[in-house]
Amino acid sequence: MDRIYRVIPERCIACGKCELACAFAHGGEGKPGVSRISIHRRGPDLGVPIVCLQCDDAACVAVCPVHALSRNEATGAIEVDYGKCVNCRMCVAACPFGNMLWDETWHCVAKCDLCHGAPKCVPFCPTGALEYIPADRAGRTPDKVAPGVLRSELIASRP
Amino acid sequence: MPRLVIDGKTVVAKEGTFLLQAAREAGIDIPTLCEHPAVEPYGGCRMCLVDVTRPEWDGWSKMVVSCLFPVEDGIIVSTKSERVMNTRRVVIDLLLARCPNTPLVQKMAAEYGIEKTSYVQNPEPTDCILCGLCTRVCDEMGTSAISSSSRGAGREIAPPFNEPPPDCIGCLACAEICPTGFIKYETSNSKRVIWNKEFEMLRCPTCGRGHITKAQAAWHDGKVPGRYFEQCDACKRKAQAAMAVTLMGGSQIR
Amino acid sequence: MRIESKQAFEEAVKAATALNEKRTREIMVCCGTGCLANGSQAVADAFAQRIGDLGLDVKLSLHAKTTGCHGFCERGPLVVLKPEGILYTKVKPRDVDEILEKTVGNGEIIPRLLYRNPENRQPIEKYEEIPFYKHQVRVSMRNIGRIDPASLDDALAHGAYAGMARALFELTPEQVIAEVRESGLRGRGGAGFSTARKWDATRKAVGERKFVLCNGDEGDPGAFKDRSIMEGDPHAVIEGMVIGAYAIGAREGYVYVRDEYPLAVHHMNLAIEKAKERGLLGKNILGTGFDFDLKVSRGGGAFVCGESSALMRSIEGKIGEPRAKYIHASDRGLFDLPTALNNVETWSVVGQILNQGGAWFASMGTKKSKGTKSFSLVGKVKNTGLIELPMGTTLRHIIFDIGGGILKNRPFKAVQTGGPSGGCLPADKLDLPVDYEVLSENGSMMGSGGMIVMDDRTCMVDVARYFLNFLIDESCGKCIPCREGLKQMLHIFDDLVEGRGKPGDIERIERLCKGMQLGSLCELGKSAPNPVLSTLQYFRDEYEAHINDKVCPAGMCRELTTYKINHDPCTGCHMCTRVCPTDAISGKPKEKHAIDQQLCISCGSCFDVCPEEQCIVFLPKKDIGGAHATAGN
Repeated sequence: MDRIYRVIPERCIACGKCELACAFAHGGEGKPGVSRISIHRRGPDLGVPIVCLQCDDAACVAVCPVHALSRNEATGAIEVDYGKCVNCRMCVAACPFGNMLWDETWHCVAKCDLCHGAPKCVPFCPTGALEYIPADRAGRTPDKVAPGVLRSELIASRP
Repeated sequence: MPRLVIDGKTVVAKEGTFLLQAAREAGIDIPTLCEHPAVEPYGGCRMCLVDVTRPEWDGWSKMVVSCLFPVEDGIIVSTKSERVMNTRRVVIDLLLARCPNTPLVQKMAAEYGIEKTSYVQNPEPTDCILCGLCTRVCDEMGTSAISSSSRGAGREIAPPFNEPPPDCIGCLACAEICPTGFIKYETSNSKRVIWNKEFEMLRCPTCGRGHITKAQAAWHDGKVPGRYFEQCDACKRKAQAAMAVTLMGGSQIR
Repeated sequence: MRIESKQAFEEAVKAATALNEKRTREIMVCCGTGCLANGSQAVADAFAQRIGDLGLDVKLSLHAKTTGCHGFCERGPLVVLKPEGILYTKVKPRDVDEILEKTVGNGEIIPRLLYRNPENRQPIEKYEEIPFYKHQVRVSMRNIGRIDPASLDDALAHGAYAGMARALFELTPEQVIAEVRESGLRGRGGAGFSTARKWDATRKAVGERKFVLCNGDEGDPGAFKDRSIMEGDPHAVIEGMVIGAYAIGAREGYVYVRDEYPLAVHHMNLAIEKAKERGLLGKNILGTGFDFDLKVSRGGGAFVCGESSALMRSIEGKIGEPRAKYIHASDRGLFDLPTALNNVETWSVVGQILNQGGAWFASMGTKKSKGTKSFSLVGKVKNTGLIELPMGTTLRHIIFDIGGGILKNRPFKAVQTGGPSGGCLPADKLDLPVDYEVLSENGSMMGSGGMIVMDDRTCMVDVARYFLNFLIDESCGKCIPCREGLKQMLHIFDDLVEGRGKPGDIERIERLCKGMQLGSLCELGKSAPNPVLSTLQYFRDEYEAHINDKVCPAGMCRELTTYKINHDPCTGCHMCTRVCPTDAISGKPKEKHAIDQQLCISCGSCFDVCPEEQCIVFLPKKDIGGAHATAGN
């Protein structure tokens, strides 16, 4: 895992560009897919980007009866093997954060896969609320919410 | 790593894989009707038949189903030999007689030059091709609520005694995997009906959406805490955003 | 008491033999399924009761016992009296007193109960002299009819477990396999795979547990050799399985028996229990430290469960459906562990091979098929029943010398061998020596050893249709070519026998057969076309007659055949009137009879009973009243 995907909600202005980028990156044939990232507004021109936390002990992986979900060791993302997935949608119901989605257009489950190592949302974010940075730099960030802290606190806040 | 030749192309396959997988990874298409990577190979549809030989067999070859034939070093595989094509033609022709109105079957038959079956058409056309995907996925889910019943020409897919299956949790995996849409179901926010069994939905306490059956949530309780299932995914995302704001010490989400 | 050493085994055999020898006079009542159905239990009970009424000294020397099937089922209930070997047939309980008084008491023969040679009506006293038995060489069935299957001592006195004792006390597993290899034994279930090779592969396979299985599913119509062995000599099967388990290193085994064979299940279970009590099975067999546990697994009677992979699924408790066998059972069989599966008959000769040596077994038979083979001889022969002969015996010898020829001396037409997966061989193949290779080369197969003899009143198209009809219900339905192919094949055959055949049908049949042979998942589907293809090969003209002329040359297809009474030969014997199920025949006794074509259903019952030549004749329905009467003789 050379790079870390980081969300800095303080910088989010809820412009929605990441959602568009994600939807088209996961679409095809002119049809967008469901966006794996979603902006929840917290004030005028302020948002919280909500996206898969790639949990270490992920509930989606635990419930999948056909072992279609597994971690891509190169990127750290949990990915769906669509060859194996049988659309039982247990993962959608089991994710405690609601980050496993059902894509009605493409009739499949959908989750953030970090675009296999080049998340398309990042370059489209005008304020740097989304970052994909080398792992060594991620640890020395001056941001108020240190990388991993929000993620781990969020994970700790599971219902 | 076994090296084999498929349709003239040298292929290096992974040890322990089946021929179908090796061929597909090499970009060689073999038709299938009962294969799905999520479930155990079955060998029922017989469409993935191929000819296998070895140089030392003096021209003798054997026909095998590629979905179940383990790759071997040195074999020479022909996926489109005349007898393979002829046998597939007989098989799909027979299936078309059983399922004359099923688009999936019609399409595959057309690929083998068959517009209309040359056999006696089923007086009661069905969309069930008896591929066994539904029963195998049900086994894979761990529920085994449905299975094939009866033998021979009377074979059908059914719950035990054709009654609402006691072990079914209403996950719809069978209906989802069915390649012809034969397995029907109804679902709403309050109830779901499949195999004549009615399920009560677990409704999201926040928005009221029924996103999963109660039986399904109960079945998976233990693998993950049962409370994970209570809210629907959309409401869980909202809660997650609210939590993030709280953690940031900011104002609440509107 | 348990037998725990070589010496103890020898002593047990000696004691059993001594007891047996004291019984100078034995009355053996056949209680196989065939004779039981004819009421042999009442005969056995009557003997037991009457002997019980006699004095004690008599009882010691006079002994009545129930045995397994003698094979000559159509003459049952059968009673054999030792030491002379007198055979009484069709014995009723009321004959018991007479037998005890005359034959046992005074050595007097009762001619009424003797078997009569159908050729010259001469009575035959001794069982060994009857042509049906005279030509047989019994190895797998050596003790059937001689021992009481419920008595372990009786089996021991007749040589049971001697081969097992030799294997366990004197030979290494490798030496056991070598002995079996020398015997040339091949699988008696039909495929004829070398038993030694199978065992060797299973022995060498890696697995934490290994199994030996016995296939007692025998589902072919008309076959009953495995049932008779399990009913009449279950110890032979157990002995073979212990030897096989020792050879391959298995500790567990199952005998898979169809539940329609209740007596076989009962006798197998009884024998297993007794063998365990005496230390011949279970823990520490014969004190050698070798453990082998054997259980009976009852099948639901599906024909397809005789297929090895389906059988294993059935034992595992799953649906009995075959699966692809690209990985052999010797590597991954029952519960995906190394498994050796053999047929009942195969297991039953193993003990003898170890006892008498592989060379002895190999001295019988042909170049590639060694030893003896059991057959269930049924159909239109005078003597039906179970026989065992050296491989390489000709069909003519089996049908005409042992079977006594065709019923009513009608002409022989064909013999169907190998059950539903086998084929029909015509008269010009009668001199073929029966072995695995010869039968396959001629479009049939050894199969389970069923032999169905057919006379000229058999329509070969209808025969093929009969087997299709059997298989359509017995196909598991998992793969398309077998399930849908059989259905479509039957459609074509229904058309043929009902006069709707059309040009091109033969080619359609052939194309479908090819697709099924190449495309089906298991041997059931692959071999299902055999009866069709072999009848097509040898009786193509009959197919053509059905299609082109709408005529059934054998006069059996009702839709194509009609019956007529010729007035000149008719003596007014009235026999036809009595058997006609629809009262279609009119005429008073001693007067000329006639058939009302409106009422006649062309069943042919009148034809079969008519004693006059050329009186009742059949002719094609389309020629009704025409000049082309086909003579029946």
